[in-house]
Amino acid sequence: MATVMKPGWRARLELGFERRAVGAAFRTVPTRRRHHGPLVVQRPFHPEGEVCHSLILHPPGGLVGGDELDLEVDCAPGAHALLTTPGAAKCYRSAGPPVRVRQRLRLAPGAALEWLPQEVIVYDGAAFDSVTCIELARGARFAGWEIACLGRPAAGEAFARGRCRQRVEVRCDGEPLLVERLDAAGAAPLLYEPWGLAGAPVSALLLAVPADAALRDAALAAGGDDPGFSATLLDEVLAVRYLGAGARGARACLEAVWEAIRPPLFGRAPDRPRIWNT
Amino acid sequence: MAADPEADDAQVRLWQLISPALPVGAYAYSQGLEYAVHSGRVADEAGAGAWIRGHLHAGPACADVPVLGRCHAAWCSGDERAVRRWSRRLLANRGAAELLAEDRQLGGALARVLATLGVAPAGAWIGAPEASFAALFALAAAHWGIDAGTAARGYLWAWLENQVAAAVKLIPLGQSAGQRLLFALGREIGSAARAGLRLRDEEIGANAPGVAHAAARHERQYSRLFRS
Repeated sequence: MATVMKPGWRARLELGFERRAVGAAFRTVPTRRRHHGPLVVQRPFHPEGEVCHSLILHPPGGLVGGDELDLEVDCAPGAHALLTTPGAAKCYRSAGPPVRVRQRLRLAPGAALEWLPQEVIVYDGAAFDSVTCIELARGARFAGWEIACLGRPAAGEAFARGRCRQRVEVRCDGEPLLVERLDAAGAAPLLYEPWGLAGAPVSALLLAVPADAALRDAALAAGGDDPGFSATLLDEVLAVRYLGAGARGARACLEAVWEAIRPPLFGRAPDRPRIWNT
Repeated sequence: MAADPEADDAQVRLWQLISPALPVGAYAYSQGLEYAVHSGRVADEAGAGAWIRGHLHAGPACADVPVLGRCHAAWCSGDERAVRRWSRRLLANRGAAELLAEDRQLGGALARVLATLGVAPAGAWIGAPEASFAALFALAAAHWGIDAGTAARGYLWAWLENQVAAAVKLIPLGQSAGQRLLFALGREIGSAARAGLRLRDEEIGANAPGVAHAAARHERQYSRLFRS
């Protein structure tokens, strides 16, 4: 039987945020929204006043081989945006080329961005390739996380085939502050060996910049004593890792850390996006 | 066989560079192995072998070796800016505070050693925040006529010897077990160095989350022999 290869979706979304006077107050508003293909942003809302909360949607609901998603976010001086997604991203099993995700988050001096997408579930047999570049100007503030689940442990599905490649880079004024990569192939020793993921299907990384020892200590206190949790300070970058059995545990851990570091980092009380409850 | 005094010299210089007697303090670091032993993940000779083998191929072979190769080429062509750029890129890939501090400490110490041996560019790297051990190791190799492949094997051998010494002390293992580990893992140095030198720029970086995690957890370990 001949296999008909379905061509992947190509989608691109560009978002720009600026701080504007709205009446007597200031608000961060999206000033640029350009999209091509199925990657869109919902109408922004301001549950805590100045900060612009936005939901990024991928309407097809799942990713298959050949899909390409490009996201570009620019935060202007003084702008403060919080981005999340309405649900887990599902990367389905498929033959052929990988799902390719490229995300570039740019922060001008004095800009603030919180990048809090829900987890990516990479199904057994799926190929996922993602690069996230966070480009900060000195004086910008960033907190964000990426959570990946290999296979569907809750359904008893291991990651026996397929490949998940992720790279995260943080630069400040062009200089690399952090380069982190994970390249997990189905059934590879990396998945179960202690030097690798040690059998944890879920791996998560939270980053915050600029960080100091006090911010790290706040993260350590919030993260609890789960042996899959760690927090370390890499010059000005706080790196929090979570390796565990399920996305729920990863979310609980990283949300607790985010709630603890938000006041010192952004001068704001945590305001949990309500979409996370649904 | 024709005498080749230059090649003889290069080989002897390499031995000096990878000797545990090189005063850079590498023996004080376990790179997460101490936490792995403490937490029960590594408990015996076989466990140590699996940890060190996996770390070798996913850690220094993927991160240090390709940067060492690029720095070697940059030193040979006098492009010190490229050396600094690659060295910073390597330091940005250190996944835990103690791994970052270790690399800076060893890099700075090697810069001091090389400066006393008359390797001129080393002086400017003493105390520089972008001084990684690989960048200075590459300088020594380039200066003394050691080719990149040989330098990469030597670098990995020194790393391996240090890891096995840490395992012997931590688990603890007997000296015979240590020698068995060195002998078995030594066979993988060549392939690890070759694979690392072949990586493309975007493929550079450790792929060993358990090591970074262990090194970060080590920061809070109550009783410690090692500094990483």
